Amino acid sequence: MKPKKIRHALTAATCGLLGVNSSDSLGEEGDWSFDSAVLYYSEVDRVTAVEPVISATRDFGEERALNLKFVFDTLSGASANGATPSDQPQTFTRPSGKGAYTAAAEETPLDDTFRDNRFALSSQWEQPINRDYKTAFGINFSTEYDYSSLSANANLSRDFNKRNTTLNTGLSLAYDTVNPEGNIPIGLSSMIIDNGQANYRSEFNATREDSEENKDILDLIFGLTQVIDRKTIMQVSYSFSDVSGYLTDPFKIVSVVGDDGRPLEYRYEQRPDARQKQSLYWQVKRQFETDILDLSYRYFWDDWGITSHTIDLRYRWILDGRHYLEPHIRYYDQSEADFYRRFLIQGESLPDHVSADYRLGNMQALTVGMRYGMALRNEQELSLRLEYYLQSNDNTESVIPGILNDVELYPDVEAIIVQLGFKF
Amino acid sequence: MNHRPVKLIAADSYWVGSFEAMASPCELFMEVDEEAQARQLLNIAAQEAWRIESKFSRYLNDNPVHQINNSGGHPVEVDEEVAQLLDFAQLCWQLSEGLFDITSGVLRRIWRFDGGSQLPSQQQVEQIMPFVGWQKLTWARPFLTLVEGMEIDFGGIGKEYAVDRTLQLLQQHTDRALLINYGGDICTGGMRLSKQPWSVGIENPSHPDTPKGVLEISRGALATSGDTRRYLMHNGKRYGHLLNPKTGWPIDDASRSATVAAATCTEAGLLASLALLQGSEAETFLQNQDVQYWLTP
Repeated sequence: MKPKKIRHALTAATCGLLGVNSSDSLGEEGDWSFDSAVLYYSEVDRVTAVEPVISATRDFGEERALNLKFVFDTLSGASANGATPSDQPQTFTRPSGKGAYTAAAEETPLDDTFRDNRFALSSQWEQPINRDYKTAFGINFSTEYDYSSLSANANLSRDFNKRNTTLNTGLSLAYDTVNPEGNIPIGLSSMIIDNGQANYRSEFNATREDSEENKDILDLIFGLTQVIDRKTIMQVSYSFSDVSGYLTDPFKIVSVVGDDGRPLEYRYEQRPDARQKQSLYWQVKRQFETDILDLSYRYFWDDWGITSHTIDLRYRWILDGRHYLEPHIRYYDQSEADFYRRFLIQGESLPDHVSADYRLGNMQALTVGMRYGMALRNEQELSLRLEYYLQSNDNTESVIPGILNDVELYPDVEAIIVQLGFKF
Repeated sequence: MNHRPVKLIAADSYWVGSFEAMASPCELFMEVDEEAQARQLLNIAAQEAWRIESKFSRYLNDNPVHQINNSGGHPVEVDEEVAQLLDFAQLCWQLSEGLFDITSGVLRRIWRFDGGSQLPSQQQVEQIMPFVGWQKLTWARPFLTLVEGMEIDFGGIGKEYAVDRTLQLLQQHTDRALLINYGGDICTGGMRLSKQPWSVGIENPSHPDTPKGVLEISRGALATSGDTRRYLMHNGKRYGHLLNPKTGWPIDDASRSATVAAATCTEAGLLASLALLQGSEAETFLQNQDVQYWLTP
């Protein structure tokens, strides 16, 4: 026998023998442990993101632990601006007002100025109060070129029934600021296109008001975790989220089309200034001989009229002590927001709120993937995740005028996700 | 069996209870205020230690271990606690790649480590080896089937398990600081009011006859494996009492004792035992586990 590291396996087995929650004693006091990953996300012809993450945890003993997480995203590519395709090329003003971008005939208009770096740092401190009560507090900060977010969270959990039952409640408050180059467009105003007119700049400026907008987010979560038997654990939770402030996407527009389906103008989208979201979540994890099944379901609804169902299934298939394969399948089904419209037709009265953002439409998404993990010496782990994502939207417009019948109004979104992880 | 004496004395800021179990002196340090509570905790601890001793001792004839060891090759249905210990023993056997084996006790029929000089013959070893090896038994929860003539022995796990179980039981009754010391296998629970570590007198395993040393411990557990008094000398070579279940012969170059600190006594004890089973690799093994340890060569 090589003198390899078996301590964690032994710790886990000891916890099983003594019937205790393994988090009680797994802690390695005084040691930092690291979890790092690089995520590569690429939508076909659209956004590409590269996201290195590094997470460090230090156990201070007696169940006190500090976790720091650092994320750096690079986003580039193009994203749909909401306008409909047409049988002729279309020109759009860049969000900054400086210059324009065009979409070829029949093509989904994509805003190609989408390029950003995001930097996020989060910290979390866990501290037990006594044997039954535990607390956790966190502060998170993220910043990118035109967006920043600051949030704080607190969590309280209580164990019952020899730690077989845990009740958990959490509160999070966040404050986000958006300050796009070229300022915030006035909702529902018409996009000014630079056709060489002398007063373009002042016309453009008339569609802008504030340079900055904010939103406040309050999240509450109530959860129950129950150990069913030595191999099964179940979790249910309810979350409530109240968001108020500027919830519109300043880069998205809606086409106003004529009876022939050709665009006459583009209006900046406008969303309500408040949203209440709720969700119910259920998850079960079961260990078989060695393999682990993880199944979850989420039901989500909000006062924008969106409801969604998410089913997620993973199965960790242990090949031998050192390798595993984990197939993953996720299905998502969403109904559209009340104010979602693919386009507006000239002559209809302008609604108070409208958005053509496909993420608010009727849609289904399927993710299928596989993770392969390999244990290295001394409890290090290397993993590779490969996933394919396919999203399709459904039409809910009752009338589709003219040429819009001949273009792809609801293109599928496809993406490839590759993640390389290293735990040490 | 369950009515052996217990003794309770008051120290500076805690109570010290003591009794005998599992062939070891057992001590319980309790930072509680009331004598009545200390006595209650002591009784709970002693009853649990004696319960585990009588259930898992291979020297008694009315317990599951006796039933298993005299099953004549027939399946024996075991209760949940025995099943959990068997699961654990199986995992330790796997993790140690066969070196930790609860079926190796029959080797003691031919190896007597009484300080004498008698070595068994290779023929004797070969005659007994068919009865050694976890891979020869069938463990299909809740049924255990041994090859006729095989025996199991929880001696390598039982005392540490008793220490951890007892701490769990006592913590259902008190949040105060506790220290349990069963013959050098130690675990602690709760934080002392003074935030000071416990000081425990321990025997120096390499010099059992010298005065006790003092060890300070504030949290977690400690366990020691190895027994410097059990060996035999043959032609000037010292054979330690640790036997390799794969060969039937003592482990070469085994350290005399290993003490390991870990979160639970069971874990510490197993790490100490597995370390000694590594022979000359004991130190490397312990270094790789990232634990505090003390090794006596």
